[in-house]
Amino acid sequence: MEIAFWILSAITVMGAIMAISLRNVMHCLLSLILFFFGIAGHYFLLHAEFLGAVQILIYIGAVAVLIALATMLTRHITGEEGPREVLGGKWWAGMGTAAIIAGLLWAIIRKDALARLLPTEAANISYTALVGDIGRALVADWVVPLEAMAVLLTAALIGAVVIALEEVIRKR
Amino acid sequence: MDTVYQFLQHAEEVLRGIPLVGGLLARLYHALLGGAPEWVLLAISIAVPILFVVSVFPGIFAYTTLVERKALGRIQNRIGPNRVGRWGLLQPIADGVKLLTKEDIVPRSADKFVHFLAPVAAVIPSVLLFSVVPIGAGLVPVDLNIGLLFAFAISTASVLALFMGGWASRNKFSLLGAMRAVAQVISYEVPMVLAAVAVVMAVGSLSTLAIARAQSGGILNVSHWFVFRPWGFVGFVLFTIGAMAESARTPFDIPEAESEIIAGYHTEYSGFKFALFQLGEYLASIAMAGITVTMFLGGYNGPGSGPGFFGGLISVFWFFSKLGCMIVLTIWIRGTWPRVRVDQLMSFAWKILLPMSIVNIVAVAMWHYITIRPIAWIGTTLWLVLWFVTLNKLAATEKIEKREYRYAS
Amino acid sequence: MGFIGKGLFEGMVVTARNFVGSYFDKERLVTVQYPEERVQVPENSRTFPFLVFDADKDPIGTMRCVACKICEVECPPQCIYIVMDRDEKGKPQQRPKVFDIDISVCMQCQICVEVCPFDAIKMDNNYEKSQYGRFNELVEHLPELLKSNEYYTKIKPTEATAVDAKLKADAEKKAKKAAPAAAKPAAPAPKPAAPAVPKPAPAAAPMARVAIPDDAPFTPEQRQWLSGYLAAVGGSGGTGVAPAAAAPVAGTPVAQAAEAAAAATTASAAEAPAGNWPWHDPGLGMQQRLDLAKDTSIADKLMAAMAQTDCHACGFDCRGYADAIATGAETDLSLCLPGEAETANMLKKLMQEAGKL
Repeated sequence: MEIAFWILSAITVMGAIMAISLRNVMHCLLSLILFFFGIAGHYFLLHAEFLGAVQILIYIGAVAVLIALATMLTRHITGEEGPREVLGGKWWAGMGTAAIIAGLLWAIIRKDALARLLPTEAANISYTALVGDIGRALVADWVVPLEAMAVLLTAALIGAVVIALEEVIRKR
Repeated sequence: MDTVYQFLQHAEEVLRGIPLVGGLLARLYHALLGGAPEWVLLAISIAVPILFVVSVFPGIFAYTTLVERKALGRIQNRIGPNRVGRWGLLQPIADGVKLLTKEDIVPRSADKFVHFLAPVAAVIPSVLLFSVVPIGAGLVPVDLNIGLLFAFAISTASVLALFMGGWASRNKFSLLGAMRAVAQVISYEVPMVLAAVAVVMAVGSLSTLAIARAQSGGILNVSHWFVFRPWGFVGFVLFTIGAMAESARTPFDIPEAESEIIAGYHTEYSGFKFALFQLGEYLASIAMAGITVTMFLGGYNGPGSGPGFFGGLISVFWFFSKLGCMIVLTIWIRGTWPRVRVDQLMSFAWKILLPMSIVNIVAVAMWHYITIRPIAWIGTTLWLVLWFVTLNKLAATEKIEKREYRYAS
Repeated sequence: MGFIGKGLFEGMVVTARNFVGSYFDKERLVTVQYPEERVQVPENSRTFPFLVFDADKDPIGTMRCVACKICEVECPPQCIYIVMDRDEKGKPQQRPKVFDIDISVCMQCQICVEVCPFDAIKMDNNYEKSQYGRFNELVEHLPELLKSNEYYTKIKPTEATAVDAKLKADAEKKAKKAAPAAAKPAAPAPKPAAPAVPKPAPAAAPMARVAIPDDAPFTPEQRQWLSGYLAAVGGSGGTGVAPAAAAPVAGTPVAQAAEAAAAATTASAAEAPAGNWPWHDPGLGMQQRLDLAKDTSIADKLMAAMAQTDCHACGFDCRGYADAIATGAETDLSLCLPGEAETANMLKKLMQEAGKL
C-alpha cells in the first residue's frame, strides 16, 4: 500500500507547511488539524490503530479544541493581522533553531543509531491483542510512570481549578 | 464488509440453501457474478455497506424529523404536520426541497472557506459513526477491533464543526454560542466515554461486534443485556445523558435552541448548509442511539436472533426496533424536560456524572471479581446507590430559603 | 417519598398521558383544522358592513337602504361611497345605484350601523376576505354587500330579532296612524300656511317635549338655540320659544298638507319651478345652498336649508318637506336627520324671518 503512504505524507506535510505559513490564525489551526489527521492516518498504516484513534481523540478532540478556544478568546478574533516580521526580525534565532534541529535529526536518522533502537527481525504482532497488550504493559511494567503522569495531571487539574477559583474569589 | 465479502465468496451455496427460491437465486447470481475477478467482489463488498449506510440512515433521519414533530405535537395537545401528504408523510421531502431552494447567504465579512467547510465537517463524522454500528448478527460495515474507540474519536472530531461554524460567521454571538457548545460537548464526552469503559471492561474487547455478541444467550437472548446489570443500568443512564448532550438534544440544546443566542453557531447558515447541520446533528443522535443499543441494550439480540439467514433477518429487525425505541425516548425527553442552564449543565457533568462514571467502573470491577452472583448483585447495587445519594448531597447547591416579598404598600 | 429524579419521571408520565390521550380525548387535541373546520365566532364579533334586504326574490327592491348617505358622512375613514339611483326623469329612487365600501380602509368601528335610521347596514362577521390584490379587489360593491335578513338572523340572532321587532312595531304604528286619519276625511281644515300670531300656548304635542324652565338663566338667543338643538337631538322642542307652528294637531296627514301647500302658493316670491333647484346638491354647504336660493320663495329657502339627500327620513322628499313646512302642514322642524341641528336651526330662523312663526 505504498501509494497510500505517499498520499498521506503529502497531505501531512502540506498541512504542516500551511499551519506555519498561512496568515489567518483560524486557517492555520485548521491546517494543523489536517496535519493531525495525517499523522493518525500514518498510525493506521503502521497497524497501530489504537494509537491512531487516540491521536484523533486527544490531539484533535482536546488539544486543537483548546487552541481554538484560546485563539477565539484573544484579539485574533478578527483573524487578520497585517504582515508581521517573523520572530520580531531576529533571523539569527531562527537559523540557530534550524541548525539544532538539523543536527538532532541527523543524529537520529543515522543508520547505526536506528539499528541500535529497532529490533532486527520483524516482530510477531497479534493485532487483536494490541490494546490489551498496551493495557497490561501500562499497569504491569510501566506502572510507576503511569502513576507519575496521573499525579502530574491531577496537579494540573487542581492548578487550573485554583486559578479559576482565585478569579471567582477576587470577583466576590 | 467482511460479511458481504464472505457471502459473495460462498454465495452460491448460501443462496441454494434458501428454501423455495434458492435454486433460482443461485442461478441468477451465477449469471451476474459467476466468474468475476477478486477486485470486483472486493469493490462490491465495500460499496454495499456504504450504499446501505448512506441511503438507510438519512432516510431514518428524514422520518425521525417527521415523527418528532408529530410526537411533540401530540404531547403539546396539537396535531403535527398533516397537510403535506397523508399524515404529513411527504413533509420531510417538502422540507428538503424548501431548504435546497433557499438562497445561500454568506455574510460579507465571513470567512468563506471555513464557512463552506463547517457543515461538511458536521456531517462527515456523523456518517462515519455508522461504520461501527452492528445492525445485525455479523453485519457491521467495518469490523474494527478498536471499533468503540474509533466511534468516540470520530465524535470528538465533530466538535470541530461547532467552532468552525461559530468562528466563520464573523458574528460575536455565533462565537459565544460556539464556545458554549464546545464547552458542553467536551464536558459530556468524559462521563460518556467512562461509562463505555465499564462495558469494555465487562466484555474485554473494544470491537462493537464483540460487545454485541457478548450479550447474546440467556433467556430469550434478553437476560444478558447489560442494561439488566446494576453497573449496566447506571452506565446506560450515564451514556444516554452523555449522548444527548453530545448531539445537543434537549434538555441540553443550548447550542441550538431558538431562544439561546439566536441560534448559536448556525445562526448565519441558511438553505442547504443549515440542512447539513441538522443532518449532522440528527445523524449523530441516531448513531449514538445505535451505539447505546449495541453496548447496553443487547445490540441485535432478541428472541429469535442468531446466526444464519433467518436469524440474521430477525436480528436486524430487533436492532431497528430498539433503535426506534431509543429515538422515541429521546423525542419523549425532548418534549418533557426544560432546558438546563449552562452553569447547571457544567456542574451536572463535572460534579455528578463524572464521579458517578468512575464509581461505575469500580462497580464493574466488583462485579467481575465477586464470583458469588447474589452477593455481587447486592454489593454492586448498594455501592452504586450509596454513591449516587452521596454525590447528590455533596453537589447540592445552597438551600434556597422561602422568599420574602415586600410590597410597596 | 421523593427519590432523586422523581420530578423527571412525573414529567414523563404527564407527557405520555397527553400523547396517548390526544388520540382518544377531545380536550387533549384542541387543534381546529382550518379550513375544513372553523371556530365558532361569538355573536358580537364583527368584521365589515353589509346591506340587509328583506325578501329573497327581490333583493334590490326590498333592501332597506334608501341612500340617505348618513353612513357615508359619518364614516370616520370615509370608506363608503354612495350614489342614489335615479330613473330616466331624474327622479330619485329611494335606493342606491352604487354602494362601495373599501374594506382596506374600513376600521370596523360600526358607526355606520349606529347612525343608520333604517337598520339597513349591519356588521357581518365573515373574516375570510383576502384577495389577490391590494386596491380594487378590496372594494366591495352593491351585489356583494347585499345579504338577506335570514343571513342576518343566522349570524346575529339576538340583534336581528330585536331589529325585526322594532321594524314591525314601527310599521304597525304607521299603519295605525294612517288608519284613523283615513277614517276622518273631514278632518279639521289644515291650518293656513302662515299663522299670523305665534301661539304662546304649548301645543298638545305627541312628542315629549323637554321644557326649558322659565327661570333657567338663558338669554332669548340662547334659548332659541338650545331649543333648536334639543329639537334636533330628540325630536323635542323647548316650549319657551315660539315653535314653528304650535297650533295644529300634529300628525296632519301628508295628503292634506300637500293640498294646503298647493293652495298656499300665495307666498311672497314666485317659487322656483320643479326640477330647477341649483341648491339641491348634498355636496354644497349650508351657506352655499342658501345663497343659491337667495331670491326664491320661502319654500325654496326652506328646501335649501335641508340636507338635499331626499332620504325620506322626514317622511317626504326634501321638496315635499319644505312645502309641508311652508304650508304649515308639518310643524316639526327637526325631522331632517341628515341635516341635524344645523338644518333645524336654519329652518327655524327662516320661518322666523318669514314671520310665519
